Amino acid sequence: MGRQYEHDLGFEANLFNDDKPIDGNILSPRVFNRRGGKGADARGFPQASTRVGQSMNNCDKYATKTLLYLDEELEGQELKDFLSHVDSCAGCREQLEAEKELSATLHRSRPLYSAPVALQDRVAAAVIDNSTSSRDQRSMYRRVSRITGEGLSGFLRIFARWQVLAPAALTIALCLAIIPNIERRVQAASYVETAVASHRSYINGALRPGLESRSPEEITAWFAGKVPFAFRLPAAESAPGERFPYRLTGATLVSFKGSPAALVTYQGQNDKISLLIDSSKSAVVAGGDEVRFGELTFHYHNDAGFTVITWTTHGLSYALVSSVSDGARASCLVCHQSMADSSKFRTHP
Amino acid sequence: MRFGPGHGQPQQRLDFSEYLDGLYGYAMVLSRNRTEAEDLVQETCLRALRAIGRLRADGSVKSWLFTILRNIWLNQVRQRRTAPDLLELDADDNGANEPADTAQDPLAEYVNRVEREQVRAAIQKLPLEFREIILLREYEELSYQEIAALLDCPPGTVMSRLARARSKLRDSLAGSLTAAVAGKSEDIGTRGTAV
Repeated sequence: MGRQYEHDLGFEANLFNDDKPIDGNILSPRVFNRRGGKGADARGFPQASTRVGQSMNNCDKYATKTLLYLDEELEGQELKDFLSHVDSCAGCREQLEAEKELSATLHRSRPLYSAPVALQDRVAAAVIDNSTSSRDQRSMYRRVSRITGEGLSGFLRIFARWQVLAPAALTIALCLAIIPNIERRVQAASYVETAVASHRSYINGALRPGLESRSPEEITAWFAGKVPFAFRLPAAESAPGERFPYRLTGATLVSFKGSPAALVTYQGQNDKISLLIDSSKSAVVAGGDEVRFGELTFHYHNDAGFTVITWTTHGLSYALVSSVSDGARASCLVCHQSMADSSKFRTHP
Repeated sequence: MRFGPGHGQPQQRLDFSEYLDGLYGYAMVLSRNRTEAEDLVQETCLRALRAIGRLRADGSVKSWLFTILRNIWLNQVRQRRTAPDLLELDADDNGANEPADTAQDPLAEYVNRVEREQVRAAIQKLPLEFREIILLREYEELSYQEIAALLDCPPGTVMSRLARARSKLRDSLAGSLTAAVAGKSEDIGTRGTAV
């Protein structure tokens, strides 16, 4: 800490000045050993002797093989000879023990450095930016990015943190049972199609809410006993007088593969967003453009003019559907408006 | 952090998460500066994403990434050569990024941490070519051939340089490591019995 080292650019220029290649072919360490090297290194690296019988040269030869022995590259007669020599030579035995101890010390200190979390975030963001920017002109991301400035990269970045790090990753707690009567069924072949069909019904007003509520706790409780999986919406923690740009409007049930799935709806000033939730056992998330954050993989879909982002975590599959014309930055607020990082997504102070 | 080239292209993907520690470690031994190291890693990942199509199917992703990182760094060094400056080994090496190993007893954990700090310090004091090869071989376990390709030097040089690097590192660690660990352990023991 705080220690300064002289910039050693000079070493770069001298990198190879003192290097004495032992052998030009490292493909086979044993080839190296058989051929031997010429000239002992001035700082102690032993050369392979071509003359056996002189004690010093013998030790030099075996010392050369120490690294190979540590790398478990010696075998057969070569290994026997090495071990036999070490057994009979105190100096080489001591040298070998020192090398072993060094290897053990280095091994214990792995990893030498760990990438800081901030760097991991930076790289993740860079991956997303690159991924989205490389899509074709049909990409939903490009269009949304032009509108929002930050675009879906911010959305995913936060969602990644949300899922991986934050308790708001839809902390799942309650166990529910299947409701006998499903109010509405939306027939669709896939999870994405179901999500889009549900969303379209929602924005068209064709899908009546099973519960109208702005309370995540009430909605969580309402789903209890109605869907065959456990989940819980993050509780709102608004400051007095604070107004969220997106508000929960309610919840309802839709059918997916004959079983009830949870649909949570949100309303903004001019737009609507829906979040479809089902067990990952029945709702398989796949396809689209994939972007991975650690253990989490997001799938981007562009379906019938809607942005659909799906992912699976903790045994549940999610499908967030939003309108193209709406900002992705604002979409983030659906889940993050009640969190500490919500300011990042507010378009207005 | 996995990236694929997109629709209709081979399913060649990069998962940077498994390489980040290694890349960052390599960047640290090259630059000895946390900020510079982070920038190097980020730039490496970006360039890798753009150049993923040039990665041979049978190529080593790790070696490829390390090569990109080293080339970026060398270019930066060349650009700075007209105005050499001092690089500061900053506070990154204090272990703040390392999660505590709760499975170990506190003394063992502390000793390990002290030892790691000593090893880091000893490596960072080595000349560039030595600390570089120590990291590539002893920590990242690249093969001699991979290192030779990465460093653009004869393969035999890799072994000779590694042997000399180990020798210097062993000398540097001798005494200081034992003394430091013993001193810290004694300190802990004293404080522990005083309670």
